Amino acid sequence: MAWDLIFWVLCFFINIALLASSFYQLLSLSDLEADHLNPFEAATRINSIVLPEFLLQGFFCLSFLLTWHWFMFISTLPITVYHLMLYSNRKHLLDVTEIFRDLNTEKKYRFVKLAVYLLLFTVVLFRLLSASIFFFFAWKFEELDIRTSLFY
Amino acid sequence: MGTENPGRPSFPMRPSSTPFASAPPTVRPFSSSGPAAGPESSNFRPIPPGAPQTMAPFSAAGPSPPARFIDPSVPSPPITSVPPSGAPYQRFPTPPFPSSAQTPPNRAPPVGQPPFQPPTSQVSVPPPSFRPQTQVPPVAMGSPPQNANFPPSRMNVPQPPSDSLLSGPRPNFQPPFPGYPSKQPVVSQAPSSFPAHQGSFMPPPAPPSAFPSHQGSYGPPPVATNLGYQSRDQMQHPVSARPIGGVQSLTEDFSSLSVASMPGSMEPGLDYRALPRPLDGDVVPSSFLEMYPMNCDPRYLRLTTSAIPNSQSLVSRWHLPLGAVVCPLAEAPEGEEVPVINFASTGIIRCRRCRTYVNPYVTFTDAGRKWRCNICSLLNDVPGEYFANLDATGRRIDLDQRPELVKGSVEFVAPTEYMVRPPMPPLYFFLIDVSISAVRSGMIEVVAQTIRSCLDELPGFPRTQIGFITFDSTIHFYNMKSSLTQPQMMVVSDLDDIFVPLPDDLLVNLSESRNVVETFLDSLPSMFQDNVNVESAFGPALKAAFMVMSQLGGKLLIFQNSLPSLGVGRLKLRGDDLRAYGTDKEHILRLPEDPFYKQMAADLTKYQIGVNIYAFSDKYTDIASLGTLAKYTGGQVYYYPSFQSGIHGEKLRHELARDLTRETAWEAVMRIRCGKGIRFTSYHGNFMLRSTDLLALPAVDCDKAYAMQLSLEETLLTTQTVYFQVALLYTASCGERRIRVHTAAAPVVTDLGEMYRLADTGAIVSLFCRLAIEKTLTSKLEDARNSLQLRIVKALREYRNLHAVQHRLGARMIYPESLKFLCLYGLALSKSVPLKGGYADAQLDERCASGFTMMALPVKKLLKLLYPSLIRIDEYLLKPSGQADGFKNIMKRLPLVAESLDSRGLYIYDDGFHFVIWFGRMLSPDIAKNLLGPEFAAELSRVTLTEHDNEMSRRLMKILKNLRESDPSYYQLPCLTRQAKLMIYSSS
Repeated sequence: MAWDLIFWVLCFFINIALLASSFYQLLSLSDLEADHLNPFEAATRINSIVLPEFLLQGFFCLSFLLTWHWFMFISTLPITVYHLMLYSNRKHLLDVTEIFRDLNTEKKYRFVKLAVYLLLFTVVLFRLLSASIFFFFAWKFEELDIRTSLFY
Repeated sequence: MGTENPGRPSFPMRPSSTPFASAPPTVRPFSSSGPAAGPESSNFRPIPPGAPQTMAPFSAAGPSPPARFIDPSVPSPPITSVPPSGAPYQRFPTPPFPSSAQTPPNRAPPVGQPPFQPPTSQVSVPPPSFRPQTQVPPVAMGSPPQNANFPPSRMNVPQPPSDSLLSGPRPNFQPPFPGYPSKQPVVSQAPSSFPAHQGSFMPPPAPPSAFPSHQGSYGPPPVATNLGYQSRDQMQHPVSARPIGGVQSLTEDFSSLSVASMPGSMEPGLDYRALPRPLDGDVVPSSFLEMYPMNCDPRYLRLTTSAIPNSQSLVSRWHLPLGAVVCPLAEAPEGEEVPVINFASTGIIRCRRCRTYVNPYVTFTDAGRKWRCNICSLLNDVPGEYFANLDATGRRIDLDQRPELVKGSVEFVAPTEYMVRPPMPPLYFFLIDVSISAVRSGMIEVVAQTIRSCLDELPGFPRTQIGFITFDSTIHFYNMKSSLTQPQMMVVSDLDDIFVPLPDDLLVNLSESRNVVETFLDSLPSMFQDNVNVESAFGPALKAAFMVMSQLGGKLLIFQNSLPSLGVGRLKLRGDDLRAYGTDKEHILRLPEDPFYKQMAADLTKYQIGVNIYAFSDKYTDIASLGTLAKYTGGQVYYYPSFQSGIHGEKLRHELARDLTRETAWEAVMRIRCGKGIRFTSYHGNFMLRSTDLLALPAVDCDKAYAMQLSLEETLLTTQTVYFQVALLYTASCGERRIRVHTAAAPVVTDLGEMYRLADTGAIVSLFCRLAIEKTLTSKLEDARNSLQLRIVKALREYRNLHAVQHRLGARMIYPESLKFLCLYGLALSKSVPLKGGYADAQLDERCASGFTMMALPVKKLLKLLYPSLIRIDEYLLKPSGQADGFKNIMKRLPLVAESLDSRGLYIYDDGFHFVIWFGRMLSPDIAKNLLGPEFAAELSRVTLTEHDNEMSRRLMKILKNLRESDPSYYQLPCLTRQAKLMIYSSS
């Protein structure tokens, strides 16, 4: 029971970190577009957090697999695969020389990612709440065992 | 044989036709002549139809109809008189129909002919007819829009004769209309004329071989039935159609090609002589300039179409690129230099909101106290010192003293607000490979000598700075402090952690350290002559150079002779893999292998360093990676495969000298502004974008052009005119910060036809070229070629749709006069080095190098590269010396077809980068002996052309020199070739 709660808390923070990273990248791109940021700086900023984000996301996905949360695993898998694909094609970093040409696609890609993270966030939040409720009020529901009917 | 207008070729050729030929030029004459001809007229008429070519039908229709009706009756002597002027006729010795022949006024030829005729008589013939056609339509049509373009004289010509006739015929015209089809006689006559044609045809000077081809050209495709002579009925159709449509509906002038085989000829396909060929090189459409005389010269800014579409839907129907090609520093001929204006204390006058610079299109109001920005329509105050009263017409009274209010191109001296740091001095830094291959090829020696000889001419004396680094497996720095007598060499062999040993003395002021620099350059070749090091620590050396230069920026010239093999940025021999072609991995070969190069390029641009790459290797050097440095820093790539100083030395010497001494703009940025509702969305060329619309150009010069595409932001443009303003902010070599401003206006149109009419083939091809080359970086070569083709096809189909309804076009292809070379250039483009074929057709390095080069070429040079000139010179060389001054006369370009090459001739082929000197198999041995000396019988590929002590050789050298001087940006190395023993004749 305690492990479950700790796991969801962890997921919660990871998800927030992913959200923040996406949001920050998006913000940098918008700044670049509005000429508040020069391409060199924007590329450095974004590229510096791309890999950590990939790693974190990979860990996120993997942890669901290891804990047998199939639904969550499946829903995070597409992004992981996409990240892996980008990485293996060495396209994960922004190309500072062509940054303006790719600007729109990059923004779109990050928008989509942000939306997916948000969706995940709602699910994680829900699971976190339910986990904490079960943890703190488990004695009340012991006979009912709602969980099985809800999420398993 | 596809004849564009079957009629065209025929015109010129036939004697009888001559009248016709004449007719085509001026439509009117035609009709008039028809009557005059009488019986013959029948032949005559048919021709007109055919002759009118596609265009003609419409335009001609007016006149031609009369002819038919009138024909029989027509006895119009006046008509004949009208035509009289035909050189062409004379050419044809045998005019079957004497009377008709006389009639033939050869008006048309005068206009079109000059260019075409030069080549071969045969060749020439078709063209004349061709051009005339275009002209004709307007006349006949009397379409208002076109009128502007055409000289008034032409207009007049047709009318006088026609007037009476025309009026007559017209009335008849409509009524008879239905009757047309019935007119059989005409048809029969047509055939007769045909044979006659051939006969006449023969006479032309052209050799027998030419003959067959002629026929082909000449024969209008009866099969095609589009507009054969015989198919007169058909001809009539268009005519008939017209009345319905109404004459006025025909406001378009266009040309056409029909692709079909001629009845009598064996060879199918197109007649090569009938095809339009850009033998005049790049012709800038002038009508637009006349409309807006205050626009900047087209050498600075060219729009792909000078008519800006007013709505999204119109844009989507315009399948060609919509944009501009800008060459901000193009060399101006003597007397047309861009005026420099110093506002001094007033400050530069700019719009408050959109930052547009004051230009000829701003309007002054409120008694001269305010001015309205032409781009954003904001009312700005006129500063007190800039105030001047307005005269009665609302123009400033001091207009003649204000070049910025009269001229489209001006240069403002920028005050300190336009500087983020003091203007930098011109700075040249040399990074020279001294490994064994560089030594062996003799590259070091040539480079050192050239740099030394250019020291006096480097721009920016006395502020010019200079520095050197050489490298093999280690990096050698040179201390050239002025107090030294000899340069000191410092060797750094730690490639992983580069440091600069003497940060201050590696880059020195040239005038102070002149002696040390000269000593260094003198000793450089000997210093490394025994070097046997095969490694190349290119990446670390580049980093070192970057560290030395990062304080000031400047121009970095890299001389690289082998594949970088040590330290960061080392490259693999990924080579040209046959297996990669045709797969999804193909384009990766053309991209930089190591991200180091892109990162480095970005850093270099950031610190205002422009890189020029000189690559010399005979093996694979991964130009794709090296060139990236030049691409994003606004530089260029010079590639000398298998460099040998004995052979290529002169080329390197010239191009390096040009690179060092041409006027260069330092630490520049460029922006192009345009009116509300449109926006430039993509930029193509060698540069890096610093923000969405700001091009960073660390070092830019007159040989660089940039292209951009625009799109509509609003669905509907409400303004009548759109303005464009290119502003290049740069530091001149003299240390002054300047802004070069080019302003142009273009009308907004609602009609697709108008866009086609004002299209500029050169700019379109230039944009296509850049788009296609960019496409090769993300997909297969084949895809790049296909998408190019597809766009041209779409564009022409759209154009066809514009006209298909009102005119029956049959199987002919029609195209606007302004785009008559588009297909040709499109084809040339897909056969150009960066795009052609596959694995076996070009070395990967060569492909990449020429891709980088073509991305930066100005329009004129690009067109020359795509359609090189071919000149026959043996006659000139043989002429007695007294007439040697006729240099201009021999510079007649021939069409690039096998038929242009005569085995008794000597030809020069010049694409702006190379000369190919072609010796015909039957060329008199004397000429070869005189030109080549004792080696004349040897294998020509091993012979180098040198001047010999005889008149002929001197003349050849003079020709080559003149050709080179006509465009000094590259040096054309002559390559000699002899006609092969076996020549396979291919039908054109």
